[in-house]
Amino acid sequence: MGGTFDPITLEILWRRLISVVDEADSAVARTAFSSLLRDAHDYTCMFTDQKGRELAQGSFATPGQSGAMALGIKNLVTKLPLETYEPGDIFITNDPWALAGHLNDVCVMSPVFYNGKLVAFTACVFHHSDIGGRVSSDNHDVFEEGLFIPLVKLYDGGILNQSVMDMIRWNVRTPDEVIGDIRSQIAANHVCAEKICQMLRENGLDHLDDLADQIISRTEKSMREEIEKIPDGIYQAEGMIEQMKGQQDVVIKTTVEVKGSDIIVNLNGSSPQVNWGGNVVYNFTYAYVFMAIKSMFGPDIPNNDGCASPITLKAPEGTVVNCKFPAAVAARLVIGHFLTEIIYRALSGVASNKVIAASGGTPAQMNVFYGKRRNGKPWHSVIIRGGGMGASASSDGHYVYIFPANGANTPVEIIESDTPLIIEKRELLVDSGGPGRMKGGLGQREVFRIPDDQYGPQSPVNLGIQAGRHIHAPEGLFGGNPGARAQFLVNGVPGNPFGLTQLKPGDVVTIDAAGGGGCGNPMEREPERVERDVLEGYVSLEKARDDYGVAIHPETLKVEEELTRKLRESLKKGNDRKRIDP
Amino acid sequence: MADKVYRLGCDIGGTFTDFVLLNDQTGEIKTYKCLTTPRDPSDAVEDGIRGMEKYTPDFVEKLDEVIHGTTLVINSIIERKGAKTGLITTKGFRDVLEIGRGIRYAPYDVFAEFPKPLIPRHLRFEVDERIRSDGSVLKPLDPREAKQVVRAILKLGVESIAVCLINSFENPANELMLKEIIEKEAPEISVSISFRVLPQIKEYERTSTTVTNAYVKPLTGRYLSKLAKRLEAIGFKGKLFIMLSSGGVTSVETASEFPVRIIESGPTAAVIAGQFYGRLFNIPEMFCFDMGGTTAKSCLIQKGEAGVVPTFEVGRVQRFMKGSGLTIQVPVVDLMEIGAGGGSIARVSRLGTLQVGPESSGADPGPICYGIRGMDPCVTDADLLLGYLDENYFLGGKMKLDKEAARLGVEEKVARPLGVKFIQAVWGIHDLINETMAAAAKTHIAEKGGNPSLVTIVAFGGAGPVHAYGLAKKLGAPRLLVPPNAGVGSALGFFTAPRAFDLLRSHKVALTASDFNEIEGILKELEEEAAKILKKQASEKDIQFERSLDMRFVGQGSETNVPISGRDFAKMGREEVRRRFDEVYEKLYGRTYPDSEVEFINFKVRASLPERLIQFQHINKTGDSLIKAIKGKRKAYSPKAKDFIFYTVYDRYQLFPKATFKGPAIIEEKESTVIVGEDGSISVDDFGFLWINLKNE
Repeated sequence: MGGTFDPITLEILWRRLISVVDEADSAVARTAFSSLLRDAHDYTCMFTDQKGRELAQGSFATPGQSGAMALGIKNLVTKLPLETYEPGDIFITNDPWALAGHLNDVCVMSPVFYNGKLVAFTACVFHHSDIGGRVSSDNHDVFEEGLFIPLVKLYDGGILNQSVMDMIRWNVRTPDEVIGDIRSQIAANHVCAEKICQMLRENGLDHLDDLADQIISRTEKSMREEIEKIPDGIYQAEGMIEQMKGQQDVVIKTTVEVKGSDIIVNLNGSSPQVNWGGNVVYNFTYAYVFMAIKSMFGPDIPNNDGCASPITLKAPEGTVVNCKFPAAVAARLVIGHFLTEIIYRALSGVASNKVIAASGGTPAQMNVFYGKRRNGKPWHSVIIRGGGMGASASSDGHYVYIFPANGANTPVEIIESDTPLIIEKRELLVDSGGPGRMKGGLGQREVFRIPDDQYGPQSPVNLGIQAGRHIHAPEGLFGGNPGARAQFLVNGVPGNPFGLTQLKPGDVVTIDAAGGGGCGNPMEREPERVERDVLEGYVSLEKARDDYGVAIHPETLKVEEELTRKLRESLKKGNDRKRIDP
Repeated sequence: MADKVYRLGCDIGGTFTDFVLLNDQTGEIKTYKCLTTPRDPSDAVEDGIRGMEKYTPDFVEKLDEVIHGTTLVINSIIERKGAKTGLITTKGFRDVLEIGRGIRYAPYDVFAEFPKPLIPRHLRFEVDERIRSDGSVLKPLDPREAKQVVRAILKLGVESIAVCLINSFENPANELMLKEIIEKEAPEISVSISFRVLPQIKEYERTSTTVTNAYVKPLTGRYLSKLAKRLEAIGFKGKLFIMLSSGGVTSVETASEFPVRIIESGPTAAVIAGQFYGRLFNIPEMFCFDMGGTTAKSCLIQKGEAGVVPTFEVGRVQRFMKGSGLTIQVPVVDLMEIGAGGGSIARVSRLGTLQVGPESSGADPGPICYGIRGMDPCVTDADLLLGYLDENYFLGGKMKLDKEAARLGVEEKVARPLGVKFIQAVWGIHDLINETMAAAAKTHIAEKGGNPSLVTIVAFGGAGPVHAYGLAKKLGAPRLLVPPNAGVGSALGFFTAPRAFDLLRSHKVALTASDFNEIEGILKELEEEAAKILKKQASEKDIQFERSLDMRFVGQGSETNVPISGRDFAKMGREEVRRRFDEVYEKLYGRTYPDSEVEFINFKVRASLPERLIQFQHINKTGDSLIKAIKGKRKAYSPKAKDFIFYTVYDRYQLFPKATFKGPAIIEEKESTVIVGEDGSISVDDFGFLWINLKNE
């Protein structure tokens, strides 16, 4: 069999390929050591055809890794002449420029042979819990950030290169965990390769090439059909991303050109790379540009090389969105996550039903608390946090999610049992959702107390933060208002949300994650929805009046229709006046 | 007791209420079906029993047990028809229920919806109290404040209250105080406290479970006590048991107190039946496959044991998408459910390929061939067109199928738009749904460390035996088992379910720092509590206890369950416990790390009563010729020949023990049809089970 496949056979074989990766994926769940992999699913398995074109990836892949990998593996595969690959070879690398943009993401890649012929490559990227180096976002170059593994053979024709393993083992803080997880990567690739060969055998195929051509071209066609519905043109947007005090905002300039069924994204004019870890490599920038376009034009179609074909990304080298070696990259998410919303903004005028306003979970917030207990024992905890998602033209924004990345929070009871901290609050932040016809998602407030009684730790307690939105609130869309800003307070006083903060017992830290932007004019929000929001305490009585022009009776909590009509009229006049006479 | 020879299993499903009556003396089994009565499900139970009395007069007095499974609880959650419920929690945490764990289950879909919490925010109240993670009190609960909060929540007209305080699993004092106050203030209000429902670390999972319990508690209590009264009124004097999601059965009192534990009580029966067959026939790896109208449920049973997982989801807003439902943390049989059934709809996908399911036409409008109102071609339509189903013998001939309409539907909606031949389309629908099920099965089997090419597939459900052969081919499984009455046979599981109850308590402490006397105390307490529950359902004194520990490496994200012996924990050595952990861990994950420190997370106890066995009736028929069983020959599709070939059609009711024959064969019974291709050979055993061996290349 070969050549062309009828659409039914194609679908069956296609499903088989996807289930191959899902089987590899669940092998990881069984064998991986660190909880970051098992619980937060911070890994991605995939495989390509022998040309390096992605064919299938795990259904629960994380957008940052998966987008970067599709591109990265293709480049890696074509680096070496095909005839140099041998059965039993296994490669390893964590080169941020080759793959997912920081050293903790380690890739293991293997060629797959069937009947002595190279037919595919299988690869997986795991986010390892440690990779050595100085764990902070204010490093000046990648050398400070940990061990850098260039593309090397971990196994050469089936024989382990022990020196490479040893080199890794002696450069990380948690060697058992890291080495164990690398073995799990090898196991995942092994499962994937076995199943690919089994599938070829059962279906009497010699290679994947014809199947790959059809899968990829059908996917591409489907993406292109959706893109074609967007009018041709050049659409622009700009994103301002705050930096440490005293430094100018990072600017990301975007020109999105829609030409037939092609999308060309040009980031020309964006800020030069920075002298801290916020730099983004090309692949990671690409991943979140891809996230925007995939989510708009094919959220439900399986991921493969065909999804990416219509997309061209131009990012000038040396800018923050295509940094040059050896820039520091550990905090890449602080800037990289913004790419998705900037693309949304650029295309919002021509694809209004496919985008959402800016989100409070862009970027994801990351806190690292560490110090020593009273008895001298060290403790350490990494927490990630989302904010309110932006509203869309058809729906309110969801509350507290990380977006466009993804990940779970850590239960309060787990944090308290692992650390000496007391968490006093984890709650939705009233009025933080950007007002709009559709309301932005609510952000959240978390309050940490460092006990000063016999349960308290030694001084100091260190707090490292990766976050954003403390200055620039998540913008609204189509006349919607911005969501509330993020806040970082120590004992009620604004602290420095960049770098490291030193705390002492008795201190209370308040962290607000931003709310999502609203969509559409808030004066057009149905009063019943505002009434519901007030009843549930998502919106206060005052804001219902001021932001939405809806009068709610303070006792019955029902809309007062007549008052509302008048209120909206007078607010409208006020706005009109403002417009005429700014 | 001697005259109490019968046991009755009764399963309320979405469309039908199924009954299985077992005579323990003779092993005789009778089945009955009637329509479910959604307004008051106990109507159907009574109707059914009355109906069965026509065939087995006076069996009601001779009933020893009625074992009951119901979808009532799960439906009331899915349809949001539970009680108006309030929540009382610790100050600062009233949004835990709404914030959840923060995972976007469909990473690329920004419009993906999430389930709304069962308790809206205005019914979630806080009290200013705090327990530390070690159980010590940081801030005591002021009884006056507690009373005010309780009164405020009652004023809003709630019917049920959930109480879940931070770190309460380490010290329940404040939850217990609140319970007492609520009971004093409003004795008629139903209360669920997290320490009783799920004394386990992780506040979202615990709150969500407690809240779900509270939400369904009033209606479950009302229903079960009504059912008990009605059974009594018609002369039933035996014991009533309710099926638990974990595969055990429990008393009406316990089920009413913890209704969150009976959510999956219906589908669990098939698994329990599978477990029983696994042990009866000594099958080391069995894949239990139950395919009905809208979904296929399956489960790997290893050495006669199905896996039990500590958590599951209910009410998924995106059907079958992991992460899109409400999290419930109670022990439940590890069942995989996917959207693949006879009613799964076939259509052309956006990518121009064929898509079958997960959308289903259900029972109404149903597949086109039902001739009700169905317009979309479904799996059943394809099965009919392939010759696997007989248009004149569906449900034993009760329902005539419209083959011509099905043909037109597939031609117009699948074959033509895809540009393929008609037969390719029809076979494609059947084959693709098999592929979907095989893909899910492989992942499920891989996760449990099983091997698909070693499993025996046991087929249940109306569509199970139609698709099992194709599924076996795709998995490379060597053998199929089709029990008699496969369409309702899963209800047999009711009789073989162990009477067991699981309890646990969280207490996080490092192995090296732990106090084994304290641990023995916790385990003892759990055993006493579980014994109390079991004593309600039986007088037997021989309750058995199984103890286990959830342990992990310090700082690790998930736990490993380590079974331990029942002897005094205080007398165990640390090295011994550590060795047990390393053994279990290595077996599961291939290696262990003896130098890394481990800790305890949960302490678990399972209390159970001895299993009641069932003795199958031997079929006394003998025969030497299959001629009487052969109904004739019918053309049906063979994927091997890529054409229609003649299959021999057998009447299952005319088969006899030790009969053997070869595929291609179609074996018909009322509720289902067994399809066997050219590579299968069938033999009938003494109990009327069909054993089908497959020759796999």
